[in-house]
Amino acid sequence: MDQVNTLLLLSGVLLFLGVLASTLSARLGLPFLLIFLVVGMLAGEDGPGGIRFDDFGASFFVGNLALAIILLDGGLRTRISTFRVALWPATALATWGVIATAALLGAFCTWLLGVDWRYGLLMGSIVGSTDAAAVFNLLRHSGVRLNERVGATLEIESGANDPMAILLVTVLVGIIAGTGVSTPEGVLLQLVTQFVIGAALGIGAGRLLAELLRRVRLAEGLYALLIISGGLTVFAATNQLGGSGFLAIYLAGVIVGNQRTRATSHVLKVMDGMAWLAQAGMFLLLGLLVTPSHLVNYFWESLAVALFLTFVARPLVVAVTLKPFRFPNREIAYISWVGLRGAVPIVLAVFPVMAGIPESRLLFDVTFAVVLFSLLVQGATVPWAARRLDVEVPHGAEPLESKEVWIGRETVLALVAFRVEAQSLAIGMLPSSLTDLRGRPVRCAALVRRGRPLLAPSATALKADDIVWLLASPEQVENLTALFGRQEQSGHLAVRNFFGEFVLDADSSAAALAATYGMELDAAESERSIGDLLAKRLGRRPVVGDRVGIGSMELTVRAISGNRVDSVGLKMSKSH
Amino acid sequence: MNQIAPILPAANVVVGLDSSSKKRVFEQAGLLFENHHGIARAVVYDALFDREKLGSTGLGQGIAIPHGRIKGIKDALGAFIRLAAPVPFDAPDGQPVDTLFVLLVPAAANERHLQLLSELAQMFSDKPFRDSLAAAPDAATIHTLFQQWRAN
Repeated sequence: MDQVNTLLLLSGVLLFLGVLASTLSARLGLPFLLIFLVVGMLAGEDGPGGIRFDDFGASFFVGNLALAIILLDGGLRTRISTFRVALWPATALATWGVIATAALLGAFCTWLLGVDWRYGLLMGSIVGSTDAAAVFNLLRHSGVRLNERVGATLEIESGANDPMAILLVTVLVGIIAGTGVSTPEGVLLQLVTQFVIGAALGIGAGRLLAELLRRVRLAEGLYALLIISGGLTVFAATNQLGGSGFLAIYLAGVIVGNQRTRATSHVLKVMDGMAWLAQAGMFLLLGLLVTPSHLVNYFWESLAVALFLTFVARPLVVAVTLKPFRFPNREIAYISWVGLRGAVPIVLAVFPVMAGIPESRLLFDVTFAVVLFSLLVQGATVPWAARRLDVEVPHGAEPLESKEVWIGRETVLALVAFRVEAQSLAIGMLPSSLTDLRGRPVRCAALVRRGRPLLAPSATALKADDIVWLLASPEQVENLTALFGRQEQSGHLAVRNFFGEFVLDADSSAAALAATYGMELDAAESERSIGDLLAKRLGRRPVVGDRVGIGSMELTVRAISGNRVDSVGLKMSKSH
Repeated sequence: MNQIAPILPAANVVVGLDSSSKKRVFEQAGLLFENHHGIARAVVYDALFDREKLGSTGLGQGIAIPHGRIKGIKDALGAFIRLAAPVPFDAPDGQPVDTLFVLLVPAAANERHLQLLSELAQMFSDKPFRDSLAAAPDAATIHTLFQQWRAN
């Protein structure tokens, strides 16, 4: 009983401190995972905590569970709409990209560490996958919004490359431990089997869960438990049947998350906390597990591996993979730089230890150091690099709260709260006659000024820091964010500087544009609409922020609806 | 000195114009240029309207810069109009427009066209300038404001 209580006390205190410390991460601009890792290390044998913890078995269990939850959450949050610009590039990065990175890094490690090539390749595979949770957590706090192509590519890649890396590690561990197949055909067959079974079971289970979610009436809090327990069942069952459970649970998440039902927003809220707990718990445990003083033994080797991964392997693979998709160079550079390593590699490094492979402590320590390097150096520069490489787009205000009103299977109404930011367009407008940016009316349900609600606010103009509660149709919400967000007056992200002085209708004719401003277009181009002209000159799926210079003017994609350019910014002079 | 002041004669500043629609404002602007500069009103109207088909020339916050190229004029010409009541304009912020700067440029002056538009947009993004325009009691005051504005 005493032991159980000590354990509870300890986990309680550690988690509690971790949660409090995580508020620091936003202020320091460091990934919050790093804070947990450090709390774990401080509590461990080399820190003031002095706790000796060497239970790789327990870590392995927690790691698997946590990974499954994180992947489920990642899947639930992956919007199929982001597939428009990023599905194939991200899929290429998540499959062949992982293999290529692992191979390059594997060759380097084999040479550097003087180990057998299979160990080298194992090392490469362990650190092969990226972690977007860290990236997006940082970006959200720093107020940077990435352009859609970059954001979606990073997001889908990081969700989809974990199963690939896990697959590679599992297969390699099998080969080295002599428990698995070792012929090249056998390895390939195993990869394919894992992939096919994982994908089939994941998609099937996803459909089933989504259907259940729609039909079953539960207490709000239970929907998420239904999804988590269902997800874990799929995960374990797929593993049992020789498939990749990680791939299965990720795909199940994608399918459930993209069938919006009345339960979706509850599920996402609960999953937010669950995924957070999974990450935090795992990092705490891993922080405890590592012996920081051992890390020093392989300092130079670890540094070399980290540098090679960051500056050679990743950029090379990203450039080769994304160039055919006609990504601009600055976007390639950014995606390379933001290939952050997170929890997955450390958990994967526990696999060889569990399989009793010799030298696996070396692998574990080097992996740990590589992840630390990545989180510290790359993590701290994520917002800076976004600005530097011009992959940011202007953005509006995030709603403070957003609630959906469901009738039957349709969402019909959104109740959203916005804070009126200083220097926003909404200042001075009357709540009773509010419209979105297309002039469609929205209903102001309440206005909160200095903490006091005004229920009939019809006659008072909006001021900065008012909070408005609006009733709007769900498709108006995005449009409203621009109304309440601060309008930058100067600098690159000021709307006038970013998109230009005027707004053009993308459906109007390119020939008319040329005639108005006296530009030269060739015959084929004059027959197009302005939107098609832009898409043609870009040679890729356009996203908001894509620019094309025509004569001495510049056209910038300003809004997209579906797959088509909706409106275009016209700037009288080129920005760079 | 800014580039706008020389192309805006005092007579081309109109305050308190009554108008019911975008179309009507363009007709009134055409009449103004016909009376003061001898440009046929239909030519002005057509040029402004053709440009509007590409997308509204509204900048937001009640301001618009309708513009067009006119064959036969020697130098660029401007007119400033403050309406008695705002008219719908499909502006990007959805707000109706009550403050307009109409710009006409010669057909051959492409670069200058863009520079003038860019400077006008810069003027109107200057909040103190916007506020003083809105507060100005008469056309003469507004004309002086245009004379005095400097890019910062």
